[in-house]
Amino acid sequence: MKKILLFLVLFLLSPQWIQAQEDVSLYLDSVEKKYAGLRDYTADVNVHFDIETFKAPDMQAKLYYKAPDKMKVESKRVFFFPREGGYFNPSLFKKEDFEIKFLERSNFDGRKAVKLKLTPKKVKRNIQDFVLTIDTDRHLIREMDVTQFDGRKIKAVIEYGKFDSFELPAHTQLKLDIPSFESEGVKEFDQLIQKPKRVTGTIEITYSNYKVNSGLSDEVFKGKESDK
Amino acid sequence: MKLFWFETYKTFSRWRTYISFSVIALIIILTEVVMKLSASEIVYRMMRSFQKGFFITGNILNAWFVTAFIMNSLHIHIPFLITLVAGDIVSSEATSGTVRFLLIRPPSRSKIITAKYLTALFYTAGLVIFFALVCVSLGLPLFGSGDLIIHHYGKFDIVFIPESEIPLRIFLAFIGAIWSMTVVASIAFLFSTLAENSIGPIIGTMAVVVVFLVLGNLPLDFFRSLKPYLFTTYMNLWQQFLNIPIPWQEIVRSALILGLHNAGLFLISFFVYKRKDIKS
Repeated sequence: MKKILLFLVLFLLSPQWIQAQEDVSLYLDSVEKKYAGLRDYTADVNVHFDIETFKAPDMQAKLYYKAPDKMKVESKRVFFFPREGGYFNPSLFKKEDFEIKFLERSNFDGRKAVKLKLTPKKVKRNIQDFVLTIDTDRHLIREMDVTQFDGRKIKAVIEYGKFDSFELPAHTQLKLDIPSFESEGVKEFDQLIQKPKRVTGTIEITYSNYKVNSGLSDEVFKGKESDK
Repeated sequence: MKLFWFETYKTFSRWRTYISFSVIALIIILTEVVMKLSASEIVYRMMRSFQKGFFITGNILNAWFVTAFIMNSLHIHIPFLITLVAGDIVSSEATSGTVRFLLIRPPSRSKIITAKYLTALFYTAGLVIFFALVCVSLGLPLFGSGDLIIHHYGKFDIVFIPESEIPLRIFLAFIGAIWSMTVVASIAFLFSTLAENSIGPIIGTMAVVVVFLVLGNLPLDFFRSLKPYLFTTYMNLWQQFLNIPIPWQEIVRSALILGLHNAGLFLISFFVYKRKDIKS
């Protein structure tokens, strides 16, 4: 009997049990609250590609963001900007839009962190799920693993800097692991007989010259390069 | 040299010579106008695999992209147009009955065959240069300039060439295209020296080109092992100038192999023509 009681006490005190009782959405709330005052920003971005099958020089553009979900990239030249993890949107992870599952407590850069798995309640942009690593001391998303339905996997590691009293990304590293062929559409003969290959590589994005809360108008986001 | 100019004058005096130039102009004008009208569809189809993962801005469908796109058709229609003249240049003398008059005149057979061969090469170069001029001069006002994106359809595979590098690379690509096409001209020329009419050399050359292209592209191990021995494998020499980094070793190798083909084919034509019996 004593053994059973001891087992029950240990079980109820275990971190998983305690965590399960916690409202894990608080971690997302804390991130959203931290950026409640962020209405808009612009930044210069430099994108460096290190992917074997993506032979391109560094690309530069101007990035515009306006809360809650307007963004635009502007460049005089041809510019490729990653959709997932490319730009910082603190309103992206609203707790009501996801099924949230606590995965584990961990450490990130010597700070306390938690890992959460977010599954969208409505499928948007082909996304199957996100796994976020949130720095619980600074309320920052430090890592984001995105899995898409077509087999694409993207891992973003974000480093922050202080810009006008907001901690915003200074550098993001995206690790890509994606199928080399499109999963849909007509395939060439060699695509049918070859084993499915995957492309891996990294994209480094550096952000500079932030201008925060400058009062960007909606007109800025009209045009084909914008995303809402 | 005088003989060469005579041959060139003769070649460009025939209306048949201009069929090729007209066909090229027609193909390019039609292609570019249709591409302009369906620009958004082309960009969507071209970039579909990238648009899932990237926001893409800028003028992708520009004159350089269109030029590279149309150049991909070099494999089939330009060889055919080359054979129309190169396959006719020697055999037409037999067909029209002028071969005896030609060969009893003072210039030696060696000089005559060399002049004819140089004319065939001159025509080939002229055709590709005309192709380039029409492509670029029509493309720039229609589509504008910009960085060149070379994309393999359906694959996550892209080469991005900055606008500042494009004119030189396109120029080199066309030089490479001329060099590739001279092999087709050499084959047609050889067949032309062997035949008494023009249809045989034209069909024969096209048969060789098409069969070699098909064999070289079948994705089976047996045919892959044959690939290094087919001249068509090296005909995409021009595409190498639109790669990053430019694979100079591969280009030099391809150019040498094609050059050896030219030399070999010309030498065979030369000896065949020297020994040609015109009495019977």
